[in-house]
Amino acid sequence: MLTPYSRTLSLEDAAHLVRRTSFGGSATKIRSLVGKTPQDALLQLMDFTPSENSKNPFDPSDAVNKNAADKIFQAKWLFEMIHGEAPMREKLAFFLHGHFAISTEKVGSPEALDQYLGVLREHSLKPFGVLTLEIAKSPAMLRYLDNDQNKKGKPNENFARELFELFTLGVGNYSEKDVQESARAFTGWTFTGPSKKAPNAKLQFVFQRKQHDDGNKTILGEQGNFTGDDVVRIATGHPETAHFLANKLFKFYVSSNPKPEDVAALADVWTRSRGDLQQVLTALFTSSSFYASKNQVVKSPLDFVVGSIRALELPIQGEGVYQSLLRTLTGLGHAPLDPPNVSGWEGGRSWVSDGALLSRIQTAASFTLSKKVTLNTKDLTLALLGSETTALNPIIQKLTSPQQAYLVMISPEYGLM
Amino acid sequence: MKRREFLKISSLAISLTTGMPAFLARAAAQAQSMAGDKILVVIQLSGGNDGLNTLVPYANGAYYAARPNIAIPKQEVLTLSSSLGLHPSMKPLMRFWDTGKLALLESVGYPNPNRSHFSSMAIWHSGDVTGASKEGWIGRIAETIGDPFCATNFGSVTPLALRTNELILPSIDNLDKFQLKLPQGTEKAFEQIMGLPRQNDAEFVAQATRHMISNTAKVQQNLSKYKAGASYPENNKFAAKLKELARLVAANTGQRILYTDIGSFDTHAGQRADQDRLLGEFSSGIDAFMKDLDSQGLGDKVMVLAFSEFGRRVAENDSAGTDHGQGGVMFVLGAGVKGGIYGDSPDLEKLNQGDVVYKQDFRGVYARVLDNWLKIPSKTIMGAEFTAPAFTV
Repeated sequence: MLTPYSRTLSLEDAAHLVRRTSFGGSATKIRSLVGKTPQDALLQLMDFTPSENSKNPFDPSDAVNKNAADKIFQAKWLFEMIHGEAPMREKLAFFLHGHFAISTEKVGSPEALDQYLGVLREHSLKPFGVLTLEIAKSPAMLRYLDNDQNKKGKPNENFARELFELFTLGVGNYSEKDVQESARAFTGWTFTGPSKKAPNAKLQFVFQRKQHDDGNKTILGEQGNFTGDDVVRIATGHPETAHFLANKLFKFYVSSNPKPEDVAALADVWTRSRGDLQQVLTALFTSSSFYASKNQVVKSPLDFVVGSIRALELPIQGEGVYQSLLRTLTGLGHAPLDPPNVSGWEGGRSWVSDGALLSRIQTAASFTLSKKVTLNTKDLTLALLGSETTALNPIIQKLTSPQQAYLVMISPEYGLM
Repeated sequence: MKRREFLKISSLAISLTTGMPAFLARAAAQAQSMAGDKILVVIQLSGGNDGLNTLVPYANGAYYAARPNIAIPKQEVLTLSSSLGLHPSMKPLMRFWDTGKLALLESVGYPNPNRSHFSSMAIWHSGDVTGASKEGWIGRIAETIGDPFCATNFGSVTPLALRTNELILPSIDNLDKFQLKLPQGTEKAFEQIMGLPRQNDAEFVAQATRHMISNTAKVQQNLSKYKAGASYPENNKFAAKLKELARLVAANTGQRILYTDIGSFDTHAGQRADQDRLLGEFSSGIDAFMKDLDSQGLGDKVMVLAFSEFGRRVAENDSAGTDHGQGGVMFVLGAGVKGGIYGDSPDLEKLNQGDVVYKQDFRGVYARVLDNWLKIPSKTIMGAEFTAPAFTV
């Protein structure tokens, strides 16, 4: 059992919660959570009911070609992270996107991307087995890991392998035979969609019975003439999955070096709740371990870009600005829907390199120096660094507000969160 | 410029040795005892390059029987021997073969092959076949010779190969933007901020920032030494990266190992279109790169080593692709190479779970390059003795 954090939130606690779970926020937003219980503060952020921002100007159907459609879709999501009313939902969807990675290049359909992101948003607080099944049946994933090519007699193992290795059990907890047998269970899973003959056909999962191998299979010690649904059920319900996901959540949200007993405690919550993500995340974000982990995560490029804009309340508008933000994120290797490979992003210290540090410094200049940043020093360090009184305050306080913001953003402290 | 001099250079007068790991501080004070001027360019073919369609066993009926849709027809193969030939997209590399500068190593892998991209890649990066080590083989070179700038990755994220627990070697993704200019009025405050005491991850980031400042200054001072000597193929991202590597080689700022990647070779479906294109980009890029270096009198300093995390399944799948396999093909090319085909060709009648059986341990290939080209004792880096055929001069 994870020890719950028993105090009401201090200013630093509130800033920590907002930075870690919700891409950061303004000093005003942070102050509004002070004095609340960890549960109440979390409930406020964990409200995933708001619909997408109606002012989102990006519509992939406006695109002149596929490449442009992909870019517009990426910008659309970025806009939602920056301006949406449920930033915690977007950050969680991004975590899950890194987990169930796909890329625009191979998926090649804005409609499939839209469905995929919709699944991540809609099921992110549901049981993990439900989420995994929905993702496994999404045309984006069927295409990305080639299950649309997986047919009786000549199975394609790509999806079955990654399901075990990356989505559920983790490497070392299954055999090559399990992969081969599971690939057979997923035969016949594919999708249909618009074509020249039927331009308005719905893009959706279909089960092609004729292509399905309904023979007997042995998977992770269980025997039966399993289908893909069975494999997802067996894999997501496996005890190793609880541990694998608990560890991954800790690394993403809490600390690059989680304590083994903390991971075991979260895995226990996972097992008892049958992978109910709402219960698991609530236990995590109200735990004393979470609140004791300030500045123990290396800030990702996406947190750097989105978090800075939100903290400084920068007036980011216009298609050109978003294209420029996406170029920055692409250069830093962290553009949404464009992961380096099927394992998503490694995170942690891998974000630190010469080129990346330099690019962050250049981004900091473009965010602050020509913009009208007018925040006072306390608000600035609270929103950016999570405290009104940091070691930087006395060094920067005589400079102009844009210079202060710039220096905070290029400090080693801002490399963490 | 000598290394000792550049260590003093810093646009901000921030001491590089402050907070430096002890082994590096020690080494920085030493002469360049293990330094040499030979350069190794390591190219990672990400995703698992299919070896059988790269070095094609065109006289083997079993090859054609296993791949009715995706085999390379005999008449298209670039003949190297009575049984083997290169994929037709690799024509630009034939000039290296003809002059004895291209070595191909067959059936390369390691014991207990792992078919996961990430596990297998980690094994190739660390040289630890259990996959447990988080220390890259090139990172260990940097620690051993005590030079945090001896290797550079060209890309945005430094791969495991160039990392150790204490050290992350530099990554550069754009040489022209690789410079730090602080706006007027912020320099002094920045220097004070960098001077604050720190621990753990904060110190790690601070140290990386100091390294970056010093590294950018050094590279910028030397980039003008490059004189373009070849035109690189257009619409070829890999070739564009090699051009930047050529500029770094010409800058002569002490990098002995340069690392970059091309991909994805993960051809589960529609293999021919993707692999044909990638092998073409790979080959034409390297051709231009070596021409460029030759024209600047630098060609005899550079050896190129290319690897992939595994080969692919011998039999094609129903998607005109191939699934993850085991043994694969490595290339070594350029200066210091004794051309030829080394190792045993895969026995397509005797497979392991449908895969080519590995016969040559990749660590032996690293070892030979370390000992004979970089002149760095391989046993220190690899932790044991490994052998490979004599593909170096």
